[in-house]
Amino acid sequence: MAIIRVRNLKKSFGDLEVLKDINVDFNRGEVVCIIGASGSGKSTLLRCLNLLEEPTSGNIVFDGNELTSTNTNLDQLRTKIGMVFQSFNLFNNKSVLDNLTLAPIHVLKNSKELAEQKALKLLDRVGLKDFANYTVKTISGGQKQRVSIARSLMMEPSIMLFDEPTSALDPEMVGEVLEVMKSLASQGMTMIVVTHEMEFAKDVSDRVLFMDQGIILEAGSPEEIFTNPKKTRTKEFLSRVLRN
Amino acid sequence: MIFLRYVLSGTVKIVPDGTFQRMVFIVQNYYPMFLEGLKYTLVISLVGTLFGVLIGMILASMKIQKITKRDSFTIRILKRAGIIFSTAYVDIVRGTPMMLQAIILYYAFFVKWFNMSVMLAGIIIISLNTAAYATEVLRGAINAIDKGQMEAARSLGMSYKQAMLNVILPQAFKNSVPAIGNELVINIKDSSVLSVIGVIELMYQSKAAASQYFLHVESALVAGVVYLILTMSATRLLEYFDKRLNSPSGSALKISIPTSQSFQSRKRGNAKWRL
Ligand SMILES: Nc1ncnc2c1ncn2[C@@H]1O[C@H](COP(=O)(O)OP(=O)(O)O)[C@@H](O)[C@H]1O
Ligand SMILES: [Mg+2]
Repeated sequence: MAIIRVRNLKKSFGDLEVLKDINVDFNRGEVVCIIGASGSGKSTLLRCLNLLEEPTSGNIVFDGNELTSTNTNLDQLRTKIGMVFQSFNLFNNKSVLDNLTLAPIHVLKNSKELAEQKALKLLDRVGLKDFANYTVKTISGGQKQRVSIARSLMMEPSIMLFDEPTSALDPEMVGEVLEVMKSLASQGMTMIVVTHEMEFAKDVSDRVLFMDQGIILEAGSPEEIFTNPKKTRTKEFLSRVLRN
Repeated sequence: MIFLRYVLSGTVKIVPDGTFQRMVFIVQNYYPMFLEGLKYTLVISLVGTLFGVLIGMILASMKIQKITKRDSFTIRILKRAGIIFSTAYVDIVRGTPMMLQAIILYYAFFVKWFNMSVMLAGIIIISLNTAAYATEVLRGAINAIDKGQMEAARSLGMSYKQAMLNVILPQAFKNSVPAIGNELVINIKDSSVLSVIGVIELMYQSKAAASQYFLHVESALVAGVVYLILTMSATRLLEYFDKRLNSPSGSALKISIPTSQSFQSRKRGNAKWRL
């Protein structure tokens, strides 16, 4: 059963058509990696999935709810769709702990105590239990990204979207973030990951989508895409990124 | 009345020679008037800046509204009205001299309709004037906050309002402290134009003190010293306050990040944060 169904999705910024008729299903429990050259529309597609970008046309159904319809309660549905950004986007004016508890307190109406209990457990899970009272300015990039994953998990989402979660990190910090994502995947979380980490895509994903100039040019299992790509554009892209 | 009381109370005195001696003479003979003026100037500029910033917050939140596809017809109309009103307000207030605003507001409305005291009128005029500048300061500070902050909050299911109140505004406000301090310093000086409607602030009092012995320069110099003391103390205090805001207490090692000091250079005054 698809948790997200995308049909005839189009998105333009002014005259620039960034997404051209996207049709794709994401299934429950599945880890899907989206790869493709920079500018091919990966982020825009991901951001359409929780309506951070308003699609120009087409529809997106999440868990039976038509996200694109103007009378859905977006705020409520968004709690079920976690999002992790390339640039972390932690709340700069808050401590690590408060980053985690803010939305549960205001949106889920959790008590402060309950939210903090939950937060400490999750911080422990991402290996940052001792950092609860740090300000976000004082922790490393890898730590920030783990905090941001924990912050999303606080809402108990049924799917997590990752937009190049390791691209802004120093190389030595990429591993710690990927570890957290792997453990999340192994616990059955539904994940859509835009990434340039080809090893991660090979090892962890159930399906790989290759995006090119606003369309999903090729989709298949990691084996199919990485060892036996059918389209020339996919081959070119892979030979370019795998060489580095 | 107050002016007359002081002037008539003393007998005629010998005016000394020398600018400094004459300034001392002014202080000795008229210091109660200067103190009175100082009090009015301080109260009007402090309270006026405070309310100006509060009104500015409301106007800024009207001005930054964006109309989206999801808004109902009524919401669209309300948003549009808010944007037009706040934009017009800012343009009109920033585009005309405060002296003119004071005269129109005071004589056309405040005395006629409300029989208002000049003190209250002065505070309202400064507040309404400061509101326009504060709107732009705050709007700029809100726009300067990384878009990712709002996106992260919304992606967690927070409403626009929740995100604004808990995430964006606290950061924007903190970054506006220098510019708002700038407004206070400007108001300390520019409240002097309120003397046209008879507010007995520092400038008014200094003119009154000058008149009996025609010591215009010396009296103005005394007022100037008082203004300088006020503005410089305000500046130092605000710098201290800003530093405190930006370095979490109890951590000497943490580096304080300089705030984005968006200086709003105002046509009148054109004062800088540092004097
Ligand atoms: N908000 C925006 N306004 C205008 N153009 C945009 C905006 N966001 C993305 N684009 C453009 O859309 C194209 C696809 O961007 P993006 O989805 O970020 O690609 P990717 O994530 O694959 O690198 C790019 O050409 C980019 O410049
Ligand atoms: Mg991108």
